[in-house]
Amino acid sequence: FRYTRNLVDSGNGKFNLMILCWGEGHGSSIHDHTDSHCFMKILQGNLKETLFEWPEKKGNGEMTKKSERVLRENQCAYINDSIGLHRVENISHTESAVSLHLYSPPFDSCNTFDQRTGHKHKVKMTFYSKFGERTLCVSMGSLAKG
Amino acid sequence: GAELLALPRLRTLLAKNNRLGGPGSLPKGLGQAPLGRSLRVLNLSGNRFAEVPPALLGLRGLQSLSLGGNRLHGIPPDIQELRSLEFLYLGGNFITSIPPELANLPSLSYLVLCDNKIQSIPPQLAQLHSLRSLSLHNNLLTYLPREILNLVHLEELSLRGNPLVVRFVRDLTYNPPSLQELAGRTIKTRNVPYAPSDLPENLVRYLSLASNCPNPKCGGVYFDSCVRQIKFVDFCGKYRLPLMHYLCSPECSSPCSSASQSSTSQSESDSEDEASVAARRMQKVLLG
Repeated sequence: FRYTRNLVDSGNGKFNLMILCWGEGHGSSIHDHTDSHCFMKILQGNLKETLFEWPEKKGNGEMTKKSERVLRENQCAYINDSIGLHRVENISHTESAVSLHLYSPPFDSCNTFDQRTGHKHKVKMTFYSKFGERTLCVSMGSLAKG
Repeated sequence: GAELLALPRLRTLLAKNNRLGGPGSLPKGLGQAPLGRSLRVLNLSGNRFAEVPPALLGLRGLQSLSLGGNRLHGIPPDIQELRSLEFLYLGGNFITSIPPELANLPSLSYLVLCDNKIQSIPPQLAQLHSLRSLSLHNNLLTYLPREILNLVHLEELSLRGNPLVVRFVRDLTYNPPSLQELAGRTIKTRNVPYAPSDLPENLVRYLSLASNCPNPKCGGVYFDSCVRQIKFVDFCGKYRLPLMHYLCSPECSSPCSSASQSSTSQSESDSEDEASVAARRMQKVLLG
């Protein structure tokens, strides 16, 4: 019922290559990238990327939007923590979207941010499938392993 | 067109991104036709429907319906006729309110109402016991009904892009209860016995509509006169959900008190425990 993260290649521990499948209306939270490089390519459909400034240290206000754009099929994007934070969404109500993501070095946790307050919350990231096999619903700890 | 009606084994019909929406877009008699009994999945997203076409409300076997990206301004109460519906996608329309009858769909698991103009959620929606995913992002919600905490099977809830109030708001307009209401409250709270033959039918009906005040120390009821109060369910300062409580009087307080209020009685701390369990569950479910 949410977008799925499907691991394709774990690059001998040097990177994670994964395919994300976004149903209609699916979107991510605002998140950082745990000091890694992140490349994204749209394989199908369109995804809207909204960039945000890092919130102030003890921020208690609405987060600041830097820019937004709609990425079309075959377009690529790059982000890292020094560029900022982003939210990625499939804003279509009729088409699903598919994107290819490369993270180097790999990471299995990141921070998500509440847009209204800037408060952050660390989350473990999980895979819906790895190398074509559906991951079973066991404890969060084993699911998080990249 | 009507030619489709005779197809007795068609389960999935995808007609998205067309120009359907005018009268006669769907063939008459759809619900009774062979097609109406076999159809399980219907996707009419990206069309021009200004209302949910009445012809499709007869599809008693339909499990999945998408009308995303149309021009709907509302949801008909007869949506409850789609008894088998599990998946309902209505995102990207102009819907302003949700009929409580939507809660009568016994199998509804996945409900998408994002990108509409919805201003409030009826508390009856908490009766959707099988609901696992609820998408409400990008609407006009300022608060939620406190009953939302009762959706114990909910796994995902998206609320971003709503103007949820962040400060405590006290509703200052309180209409004192009528004499009829005061009499009704007394009968209910003191368990004054009565039989249907003792009272005119309209009063028997009135008495059956009593709502329980959520304040556990009160145990009272109210009919029409109530106080609206917003209390926040606080997730350790990271996210605050404003929940609307209806209380029987300004002196009552709701069970979902913020942490600063001290609990003085066992019953109050019990219900605060329930509220904080519900709050922790809701925290896991909230999508940013």
